[in-house]
This record gives sequence, structure tokens and C-alpha cells, in this order.
Amino acid sequence: MKQSLLGSLAWLGAHQEEINRLNVFPVPDGDTGTNMLLTLQSAVEDIRESPAIEVSKIARIAAHGSLMGARGNSGVILSQIFRGFASAVQDKVDLSPTELAAAFEEAANAAYRAVSKPTEGTILTVARQAGRSAAGAAQQPGASSVTVIKAAAAGARAAVERTPSQLRILRDAGVVDAGGYGLQIMLEGMLRSVEEVEDELSKQGPARPAAQATLDLPEEGWGYCTEFLIEGEDLDVDGIRDEIESLGNSVLVVGDGELVKVHVHTDDPSRVITLAARYGRLDRLNVGDMSTQHRRIREDGGAADATEAPEPAEPASLRPNGVGLVAVVAGPGLVEIFRGLGVDEIVEGGQTMNPSTQDMLLAADRLPYDRVVLLPNNKNVVLAASQVDGLTEKSIEVLPTKTMPQGVAAVVAFHPERSLAENVTAMREAAKHVQTIEVTHAVRDSRSNGLTVRKGDVIALINTRLEHAGKEYDSVVGQALSGIGAGDYDLVTIYRGQQATDSQAARLTDSIRGSFPSLEIEVQSGGQEHYPFILSVE
Amino acid sequence: MAGFRVVTDSTADVPPEWCERHGIEVVPLRVLFGTESFRDRVDLTTDQFFDRLRASERLPTTSAPSPGDFAVVYERLSRECDGVVSIHISGDLSGTVEAARVGAGSVEGFPVHVIDSRCLTICLAYLALTAAQADTLEAAVREVEERVPRQGILALLDTLRYLEMGGRIGRAQALLGTVLDLKPILSLADGRVVPLDRVRTRAKAIPRLVERLRQDLPVERLAVMHAQAPEDAERIRATLAAELRDVEVDVGELGAVLGTHVGPGAVGMAYIKR
Repeated sequence: MKQSLLGSLAWLGAHQEEINRLNVFPVPDGDTGTNMLLTLQSAVEDIRESPAIEVSKIARIAAHGSLMGARGNSGVILSQIFRGFASAVQDKVDLSPTELAAAFEEAANAAYRAVSKPTEGTILTVARQAGRSAAGAAQQPGASSVTVIKAAAAGARAAVERTPSQLRILRDAGVVDAGGYGLQIMLEGMLRSVEEVEDELSKQGPARPAAQATLDLPEEGWGYCTEFLIEGEDLDVDGIRDEIESLGNSVLVVGDGELVKVHVHTDDPSRVITLAARYGRLDRLNVGDMSTQHRRIREDGGAADATEAPEPAEPASLRPNGVGLVAVVAGPGLVEIFRGLGVDEIVEGGQTMNPSTQDMLLAADRLPYDRVVLLPNNKNVVLAASQVDGLTEKSIEVLPTKTMPQGVAAVVAFHPERSLAENVTAMREAAKHVQTIEVTHAVRDSRSNGLTVRKGDVIALINTRLEHAGKEYDSVVGQALSGIGAGDYDLVTIYRGQQATDSQAARLTDSIRGSFPSLEIEVQSGGQEHYPFILSVE
Repeated sequence: MAGFRVVTDSTADVPPEWCERHGIEVVPLRVLFGTESFRDRVDLTTDQFFDRLRASERLPTTSAPSPGDFAVVYERLSRECDGVVSIHISGDLSGTVEAARVGAGSVEGFPVHVIDSRCLTICLAYLALTAAQADTLEAAVREVEERVPRQGILALLDTLRYLEMGGRIGRAQALLGTVLDLKPILSLADGRVVPLDRVRTRAKAIPRLVERLRQDLPVERLAVMHAQAPEDAERIRATLAAELRDVEVDVGELGAVLGTHVGPGAVGMAYIKR
């Protein structure tokens, strides 16, 4: 099991770029191959170092790791595939061919359940076909894990080839589904490794001893945000929580008998670490000095006093409604804008690097609030963001903002003295009333949505849909603004990207002013990559 | 000469005809451009003030009347009537009411009842009018104090800059610190500025203001007040006049002192709830 997952990772890594190239849309976006690879890496990272040889444990670690590291929609679906597999093999040390096939089938079912509107011709269809083919092979006389995996891989490959007939956008673009292909590659990678080394599973050496953390502690300060995972057997989650609670505050201890996640703000991280090491092996140890965070809170809130007890923030500077804000933002200018509007934690990323579920989870856990509104600000991050709520004791409300302008509009509507429910309603409403035009260059030739695009062309996406293409920013943006009936709106905010020059921005502003004299225009430096301009029309 | 008289200050934005008809005395606050000092609504018309404000590199400052300014008025009135009700801008926003109390103490044997309105602009004028129409000083004080908690202010500012520079930003501080051009919607609660909302455009803000007002209906009196925003004020007035058939909707302009703190473009509503 372990070996096959490592094999699948290696094979996926070798094909990452190939999968990336299958992206239908000519948009520089979180690439499927990269997202799946990073998700799988996170799944396998823990397995590599675990002494476990039982299938059930390895599967559970993989499910947990992939969920923590899930990036992008394909990554989240992949994590659900692992979860389904893990739930099917509970309590199993080894798998018979029939059990293995049943686990493949349950993996596909779990993936379908994770998506509110399953689409055929995607990784879902491929997972299901892999499961069916595996089940068929398991019934054959002389069936083995190898024949079952072989059948699953072959089923996946056949399903991938059929994806263009199921999804028109794939047919138009002349490609197969990237996520489905990624899954096929993973299964083929598994097959290669089990064929080569069927018997190596039990020959793994003992796990490395826990790393000894040495830290320079200051005389006094604001404490350290200390986070790590404890791996062990029959871990006593409540007992660990009780002990850790006596050593700090903002304590969060979650998990099960094999894997416990610990988060604590403490003055003495080394004591916490020593204590936790008695329970099991520590992993992903991360100790951060909170004085930086504190300084920022103090600058924002004005009144906090640096000589007080080591709390992450003074009650005086906390919001009356106890609601924290986390946003996924790309670009230094946009980061400033979101911070200025009151967002507590920024997870950097979005357009090219989709942040993982864990990145967002850690940001939410760092806040001194139990209730958190999370703004993904990118359509490819929404699903990963929606996984965060299940991983923390905090209550996480995901506002499914798909673009930066939607996120800005939502945060503007946030009010620190109103309840979470009132805020969520107001923020959703505000995000709905803004139109987003994202301007970029096509990264490949493509034909989609009735539009033929050449690599390098200027393209405009209206509310994340590719709608206009041309050679010049001014004309493409002009078409896009006409397309949404910009004359009926009041304000255009132009977020200038890293690539856009002053003169390009000035020309664009003049051209908009010429075509839509009634529109107010505000130019802000967004600093985002890949998108020379993002326009917010409201 | 029997009876009592009513005194207020220039932040009340009292319509001039009320002063004549009801004998309401207005003590001016001051606006200072550098070392040049002007009495609010006396030495400078509102238009002259905003012309200067636009031309001036540094923002003007404002100052409360001195206790002596009040003493002079109370002294004169002590020869004309039996007592005074003196109603002023919120003590959390200005030292005016404190100056009035000190001034009142210097006129021996003459009853001056000083009231901190916890409010500002035409709400003060409404309180002053209520007082002026009462039969006795005691009745006037009672009627005014009964209305103090029923006052409401809703304001849309073009920018928070003026409020911040003038140091009256209060809890609207929370709306600061943004690179984006946001339009704050503010209110007054227990004499202090509180933030209600922030929006990106005036066009969105104005319906939001009217929406907020609906929560406070019915009203006894209401005015749309503005600083150099007559069109927006008229639009709001027309909307409200169509809805509130039993109340006259007044329109007024903010004086120089309030103008200094809210900045040009401010528009809003001041009202007494029923």
C-alpha cells in the first residue's frame, strides 16, 4: 500500500506538466497537475515516515494528509477519494482482491458525495469506472492486487478517453479531462510499483526518532503560536488537551487515536513539545513568534498595551462581534487593501498557486476569534476552503467569493458590531452586486465559449467566464464593459497588476472615461501576477 | 418683562426666521483659518466658508464660545426676562455646553438651565423651538429633556478625513485605514459618532441612508441637512416627502463648524422620533 502510493506520487510528478497542459481554459490559473501533485504529496508525506504497515492505518493517514494539503477542486476531490478508500478498509491489516476493489468503488462514491452537482466526464467518472473495472477483475479466477489495480488503471484510461464525448468544453478544446487523466496516472503509478516490488511492504525500517526542537526563548514576550501533529497509538485526545491547556491559551487539540493536531499559544514552547513527545512522534512542528501578529493588531486597534499578559490580542482591540476574517489574496497591493479593510489573516495565493486547506486552516486557527469568515476570492479555492470547517473546533463560514472584487465588496460590507449571521447576509449580498472583469493574456491557443483565442491574446473574463478576446487591453476591456452594461453602474475600480505599466493604465483609464463618461474610475495598485488588470464594476 | 428665553449655539443650524419669530438666541462657535478667526454664521456665510476651505492648504480648526461669550448673552437676557433655557451641542463633541455652564454661573441670581442635547445640527433647533413654544421654563426643560433620547442623526460623508483631522471620529475609527475610497455612513449614539456602514459609491449610500431612517419611523420632525450637496439633499427630500405625508421635510445647510468636521459633500438626516 505504502509503496504503491509512493509509486503513484512519483509517476504523477513525472506527468505534472503534461496534466497542466490539459487545462481547457487559456487562463493562467491553478493548474490541475500541480494541485493534484501537491495534494498527493501531502497525503504521502506522512505515510513515508510512519511505521504503520496496516492498510487501514496507511489509508487513514493518506486521507488525513490529503485533506490537509488539498489544493484546488481536483485536490479536494482527490482527498475525498482517499477518504472513501480509508472508510472502506477500516480495521483491515491486509486486503483481499475483492476488498481492494470494493475500496476503489467506495472511493468513487465518496468523491461523488463531496460534490454538490457532479459532472460526468471529469475525475468523478474516471474514479467510478476505475472502481467498476477493479470489481470486475476481482471476480476473475486467480485475481490478485496486481490484477485489480491493473484493471482499475485500464478502466480509468478508457474513461479518460471518453471524457471529450461527455463534456463539450473538452471536445471543443480537443483535450481529455485533466483531473481524470491525473487519476489515471496515479493508478498507473501504483501499478508500476506493485508489479516491481510486491514484497517490499514489510521491509521498511523503523521510524525516525522525534526531532529535538531547540528554541531561543526571549525573556518576555507575546508567546509563541505552537503547532504540531502527534502521531501515535491509542492517543488520549482529551488527556492531551487537559495537559496542554495548563501550559497556554487558545488551545486547540483535535484528532483521533492515531493523529492529533495541537495548536497552543504558549510562553514556553519547549515544555509543550517535551510533554507532547511523551505521547508519540511529533510532526510538522511549527513555532511562530506572535509579537509580529500582536504588533499589527496593536497598530490597527490603537489601545493595546505591550506589557500585558501574553494573549494574542488585548480584549480592547478585539471585535465586539467576535468574528474574525481570513482572505485568500494574491498581490501586495490587494493584500494591503484587504488588510486596510480589516481582514485579520491573509493567506497568500489564488491565481497561480491555490492555497491548501491546511494553509487556510492554520490562518483561521491563528485568530483570537472562535468564529471566522473565510473568503477564498478565487473559484478554484472555494471547495478547498469549504473543507476547513470540519477540521477545527472553530466555526468557519465560507463566503464563496470567486474573484478579488467580490471579496473586496464582501469585506466592505462587514461590520464589526453586527452578528455573524447579519454580516454573512450583508457580505453575500454585496459580493453578488459587483461585476468582475479579469484581464489577462491567453497562455495557450484555445477554442471555448464560441471564442477562438491565440496564445498571447488579451482575454477578458466576466465573472470568471471567458467572454472577450482581442489584441489590445483598451478594446477588450471596452467590449467587456459594454457586455455587462457598464453605463448602468457608478464606479469602476481598476486593480493594476504587476505587468501593467503606468502608461497602459493611463490609456485604459482614458479609454473607459471616453466610452463611459458617467462612470467614476478609481485606479488601485493590486500588484497581482498574470492579470495586468482586474476591474470591479459596481 | 416676564417669561423665559431660549439660547442655543451656531451648530444648531437654526433657520433665521425661527430666531426672529421665537426670540431664540444663537451664540456662535468659531472657525479659525490659521490665526484668522471667524464667528460661525456671523462673519462668514456657508458658501464663503466652503470656498475658503477648498482654497486652504491646511484644514481650519474650530473652537467653542468662551464662557464670557455666554455670560454676555445671559447678562443681557437677565434684564429682559426671568430665566433661560440654554440648549447645546453634545458635550462629547464640543466644549460649548461646558462654557455655557460656566458662563451661567457668573450671572448671579438669574436662573439659566443648561441642557446637553447629546446631539447637533437642526435637532438642536427643534429642541430650541419646542422650548420656545412651552408655557413655562419648567415645562420647556421637561419637554426638551423628554426629546433628547428621541433624536436621530444619519449622515453620509464623502470622506472620513475631516472627521479624523478634527479628532471627532469616535468609533468610526474602525472604518479608517483603507486605501480604497469608501463612503462612511455614520450616526450619533449617546452624543458620540458611531459607524453604521461603509459603501463604495454615493449612489448606493443614499438609498441605504433612507433605508436606515425607515427603522426609526414615525418621526415628529425631520430635516435633510447637507454641506455643499444640494442635489443629493433635494433627492432625499423628495423621496421622504412622498413617503411621510404627515411630516414636513425641511432642508438645511450645515454651518461652518460642522462643515469643518464633516467636509464638503456630507448629506444626511436629523430628526426627532415620535
